[in-house]
Amino acid sequence: MSLLDSLAAGFALVGNVEAFFMLFCGLIVGVVGGAIPGLSATMAVALTLPFTFAMTPINGILLLLGVYKGGIFGGSIPAILIKTPGTPASSATILDGHPLAERGEAGRALGMALYASCTADAVSNLALILFAGWLASFALNFGPPEFFALILFSLTIIAGVSGESLLRGALSALAGLLLATVGLDLIYGTNRFTFGDPNMMGGLNFIAVLIGLFAIPEIIAMAWNPVAHLGKTRALGKSRCSLADYLGSFKSIIRGSMIGVFLGSIPGIGAAPSAFLSYSEARRTSKNKANFGKGEIEGVAASEAGNNGVAGATLIPLLALGVPGDVITAIIIGAFMVHGLQPGPMMFVLNADIIYGLFIGLIVSSVFLLLVGSIAIRGFRFVADVPKRILMPGVLVLCIYGVFAVNNNIFDVGVMFVMGWLGYVMMRNRIPAAPFLIAFILGPLLEDNFRQSMLMSGSDPLILFRGPITWTFWTLTAITVVAITRSTLRQKVPLS
Amino acid sequence: MKLRTFGSVFALGCGLAAGAAMAEYPERPINMIIPYGAGGATDISARTIAEPLGEAVGSPLVMANVTGAGGATGSVAVQNANADGYTMLFARVGSHSVNPAMKATLPYTLDDFRFVTVYEINPVACAVRPDSGIESMEDLIAQVGEGGVSYSSSGVGSLLHLAGAMVLKEFGIENPLTEATHIPQQGGGAAATAVLNGTATFLCTNSSALASFVANDQLTPLMVTTEEPVVGFDAPTANDLGKPVLNQLVGWTGIAGPDDLPDDVAAKWGDWMATATADEDFRSSMEERGSVIDLMDPEEANAFILEQYTTFRDLVDELGMRIEG
Repeated sequence: MSLLDSLAAGFALVGNVEAFFMLFCGLIVGVVGGAIPGLSATMAVALTLPFTFAMTPINGILLLLGVYKGGIFGGSIPAILIKTPGTPASSATILDGHPLAERGEAGRALGMALYASCTADAVSNLALILFAGWLASFALNFGPPEFFALILFSLTIIAGVSGESLLRGALSALAGLLLATVGLDLIYGTNRFTFGDPNMMGGLNFIAVLIGLFAIPEIIAMAWNPVAHLGKTRALGKSRCSLADYLGSFKSIIRGSMIGVFLGSIPGIGAAPSAFLSYSEARRTSKNKANFGKGEIEGVAASEAGNNGVAGATLIPLLALGVPGDVITAIIIGAFMVHGLQPGPMMFVLNADIIYGLFIGLIVSSVFLLLVGSIAIRGFRFVADVPKRILMPGVLVLCIYGVFAVNNNIFDVGVMFVMGWLGYVMMRNRIPAAPFLIAFILGPLLEDNFRQSMLMSGSDPLILFRGPITWTFWTLTAITVVAITRSTLRQKVPLS
Repeated sequence: MKLRTFGSVFALGCGLAAGAAMAEYPERPINMIIPYGAGGATDISARTIAEPLGEAVGSPLVMANVTGAGGATGSVAVQNANADGYTMLFARVGSHSVNPAMKATLPYTLDDFRFVTVYEINPVACAVRPDSGIESMEDLIAQVGEGGVSYSSSGVGSLLHLAGAMVLKEFGIENPLTEATHIPQQGGGAAATAVLNGTATFLCTNSSALASFVANDQLTPLMVTTEEPVVGFDAPTANDLGKPVLNQLVGWTGIAGPDDLPDDVAAKWGDWMATATADEDFRSSMEERGSVIDLMDPEEANAFILEQYTTFRDLVDELGMRIEG
């Protein structure tokens, strides 16, 4: 079948109102699901999955993809408005998005988040369509040693999100690394820091930690001093994202999209590290470096480009190799299997019509996202107008509900509150929460890949330097560490 | 309000007096706990049976994924639930025969559950990369002798972990733990990826998890553990290779309640499952994915799981694979 035939077959599949309607519905469900704190994009996709069983394969998969993409964008709405990431991937958006909202520029931040998301989404989809095969075979070169080097490099992000004090950032990261060790040891299967409680055996729930760290401290602070915010204008947002804003951040958006595509095509990393890496790269190269973390619009653009750039690219290992790249694609692959489809190289031959149908749907999804997103922003923007005293109790209820729903487990709600107090103490002592989160995500990956490498080589550390990929990341790590040290010394940034 | 309270007390009294309160079971929705994540083998299997099963039960089934610790978190939730038949578990080979056999510190044992059915059997297949130069089990065993062979799994205490060791052991490797390396991964998808990218030499897992890789020529199957050949897998069976013991090495999905689940509830489940598994749509969609529908009543299910558990436990003892910490 020629390309044109395949395209035609794809059009025939999606060329009906129903397919596009499903995609549209998916985006709405995703944006709303992502926008509810605690109800992450993963949850939204998992909840939608059973509905797809009765649909035709293409409709079902487009619905799920819509939820996925919508959810990743939707998560930025509460991140900007109420400092609570709706989905883990949007935690980087808080860093600059929330300060913007505090300044009464919520509309501008939300607009930028949407435009950056749609741009990155389009770049990511194009990468999937044009380079899927090439990127997939590249991703297969990533064994545990390559992963280890990549994750080690990614840990340098911590310096970029530590804010005013590197030492406080490092302290926060150490706490994150420590808490990430709770649960079953991957290699020996033994319990670590579980204190005999079966609930701890699975490790601390990520969503519970995330919500606890970001949302609960705000609520505690509110309860502590309910009138502190009065008098500060927050009146939001008539402000809009201008074309100049967009163009000014365009470089960061494209860089973020590329980082997203790269990290998305490698199975096992996910959108949150990508958003943070994109953010820290944007900060490193920006002229307004000092303004990052205090409400720099480019920071919002970079984070949102970083996480949405992943959304299309995670389909690369899924479609080209049949391997799920993250939790969400693991759910989506279930939908393929339910319909008797077997993702992998042969699917491009056997089910070319479905593949091209998906491609067409994906291209359209970026446009739909723009549409659904604009409407959502119009609706949600006014959340920032709601007086905090009324808003916060509602947020608390949503957080409890969302965290409970992740695993139907009341223990997770307890984890959320404990983390909330920890987050509050950190906030009072000006210890940034973002390094904690990055360490919590990357710590287990670093450890697992290191130990897997050691198993592979029979404990010979030289395996960590095999091949050009590891060398590239080791070099990048070295350069970054030197650069951080030098800028810290030169600017006489206080360590503590 | 008072009237209603009175009414319900009266009804309860009547029910008790008649000794037939449970005859009304189920009078409210039943919570079904899936101890593994959405989109996985257990989840898909559970959600596929949920539809015909819900019709047979005549009362809604509330499906909830409670994940973590290789199925232990969800299992504990059911272990501690009231034995009234309103909280049931989708039990799986990993959570209810491999894990109890391998982990000394598991917060539950098989005795904490009453199995009302096993409805699905998944054959296990072993596979390698096509360019590995390994074409048969014989080649694989020869390579183990030369050293450097490793196998991936979805984690310590998973079916894949035990299967790798058991297969090597059956094929004459004295001590599979030292002669081959086990490289655990986070989940089944990652385990397959590890073989694809050369991190591990082979893996043994449910044929349904391998089907797409085999169909796409990304992995070559070496054998299947069932008596009968598996459709789509061009590989000898364990019996062809003279290792019928490996027939024990199969995945399964069943339904369990807490251990003191009443007899009449268990009996009801037996009836419902018979109705549900007779459903044509259910059978065809399960078989399409490589599962074998094999409905067992409560007694058969308990005997089947116990036999598999005993086999696994003896192997674990022999090889010293038990996890104590």
